[in-house]
Amino acid sequence: MASSEFPQLKCELGVLSKSDGSAALAEGESVMLASVCGPIEVKLQKLLTDKTSVECCYRSKAAEGIQDRFRETILKNICETALMASLHPRSSILVNLQEMQNGGQLLSCAVNAACLACLNAGVDMKFTFAAVSCFLNKFEEFSFVPPINENEVKALFVLVFNSTTGSIIASHTEGSFTTEQFQHGLKLCREQSQFVFKFFKESVINFDKDIE
Amino acid sequence: MSNFRKTIISNAEKQFLIKNLRESTRLDGRAFNTIRDLKIEFGKDWGCCNVSLGKTKVLAQVTCDLQEPKSNRPSEGTLNINLELNPMADPSFEAGRQSDLSAQLNRLLEKCLKDSKAIDLESLCIQMKKRVWSLRIDLNVLNHDGNILDCASIAALAALSHFRRPDVTSDGVEFKIHSIEERDPIPIVVYHYPVYITYAIFSGGDFLVVDPTLLEEGVAEAFLSIGLNSYDELCGLHLGGKAQLSTNVILEITNKATKHACGIINLIKKGVELDTKKKLSAKETGFHKGNLKETNDSLSKLSISLDHWTTTKTSKKKKKSLKLNTVEEINNDCRMECDDINQPNHEVIRDLGVQTTELVHKGTKGEWIIIDSDSEEGANPNSSQNDIIFVETSKVETIKVQGSDSEEENVIIVCESNQEKNVSKSPKKKKAT
Repeated sequence: MASSEFPQLKCELGVLSKSDGSAALAEGESVMLASVCGPIEVKLQKLLTDKTSVECCYRSKAAEGIQDRFRETILKNICETALMASLHPRSSILVNLQEMQNGGQLLSCAVNAACLACLNAGVDMKFTFAAVSCFLNKFEEFSFVPPINENEVKALFVLVFNSTTGSIIASHTEGSFTTEQFQHGLKLCREQSQFVFKFFKESVINFDKDIE
Repeated sequence: MSNFRKTIISNAEKQFLIKNLRESTRLDGRAFNTIRDLKIEFGKDWGCCNVSLGKTKVLAQVTCDLQEPKSNRPSEGTLNINLELNPMADPSFEAGRQSDLSAQLNRLLEKCLKDSKAIDLESLCIQMKKRVWSLRIDLNVLNHDGNILDCASIAALAALSHFRRPDVTSDGVEFKIHSIEERDPIPIVVYHYPVYITYAIFSGGDFLVVDPTLLEEGVAEAFLSIGLNSYDELCGLHLGGKAQLSTNVILEITNKATKHACGIINLIKKGVELDTKKKLSAKETGFHKGNLKETNDSLSKLSISLDHWTTTKTSKKKKKSLKLNTVEEINNDCRMECDDINQPNHEVIRDLGVQTTELVHKGTKGEWIIIDSDSEEGANPNSSQNDIIFVETSKVETIKVQGSDSEEENVIIVCESNQEKNVSKSPKKKKAT
């Protein structure tokens, strides 16, 4: 039984000057840049009278595709649940994500970057969220690091957790797997999400220390 | 709808800026003929780079695929430039919608790179009338702090000269694209390197300022963009706005711009060469290898601390250390505190300096199994060791260290050095004219 490591996390907060909050996050070899603006003026057709409309924009490096729109929807749903949307009716919060480098776990990296950017922007949140990617290879082994050969991936779980209750707020899976395998993956991811939350905390504390 | 989410520049700001220009000063302290700091970072993939010109940032990626050539040019490959203005750059930009600005920028970039024949398109032909390579440059503006055009042209050029296309063979009927592992990829032939240098024109041509910031762009009456290559050849000229400039002024400005262009082109060439060498010697490169750290000058640090100005005792202490301007000291303090907190923990969070942290896992869990344990284990200790060394150097370093050719550096940060010389000269020149 060999050991498996969680991909190394590195982040930098406040990278962009035009956004209210921004974060560059490297998760293993994946690098995402996230920026959050808001609450700001809203377009008339997107105006909601009872809460903030969350606008999400995901850009990949090269030509866009359906995958981008799909990731946009996932991120939008996560942000809508986590942000205190009812505080700012008739306004919108922009969440922008830009892929910088694809290392295999883009989605979880994007979700984590979005959370850090929200924290950096200081928008009100009900809870923070952290995503963990877990790969199941064709030998039925679990790992947090994407296998070098893409064909070896049998299934991929991306699970997003709520910081206060620890419950799942989003789940995205690819490939085929059994219920037991999902349960096992869930257990591993939940344990791992604690480290991600801790990393968020330390990053934000360090950032505050720097600007004091 | 045109004013949607736009930042409005007040009359007071405008007047202040013009008044400063009359006294030969700019708001950011630059001389009239000084460009902002230029930094080029290369990603893990071929043809990917992130260029920052001051606070303006552009990410470029070149991609290629096989296509049928255009019927009027059967032996030439194609080159497409696609610049997108996202809400990330500025909330007033709308995603996926072509605005006047983006159309203009795209056209100007096309003029500079395509119409000046900077790229050898004929070498991209595989079989006449059948198959040619089609190159596509995607430019994503990440942060808009003025002068997108110059930044984008630098990014596009750096990405193109960094890019390598996969090798392709044909048996007459089918074309086989060889993966990078199979055969070495081939670089693109770049004949010459054209970049744009933009000047903002104030008060009907009285003041000409190179590399305008967003505020200066908002106040300026007109813009003069000059596309130049390292042989001092003109590759594009665009005068927008309303200003009357005499021929002499334009010629004089063009001469001044050639110096900037040469400096920038040398930086691009050097950066590409360095990164290519690293990639070919199978060193790990990419954005994730960088320390994800922006060079923060002490001035911006001070302005941030002024924002958080309080009169309590603790903050006074901090202010003192700021006055001494020993950034290292502050960093050391933070690091020591961090280390103390984290030592008993499962993993160590390193403080990489200003605004940057890094989570290094120490503990290993027995439950999980790794695939390809041989190769992974062989690779992992090395990479983690590299990381640690890299972190150590960044602890002590100032910006100068980043510019050196140290082996442990994984991101190339190229800093403009020759601009300081111009600082003292140009205001005098300005007065003479």
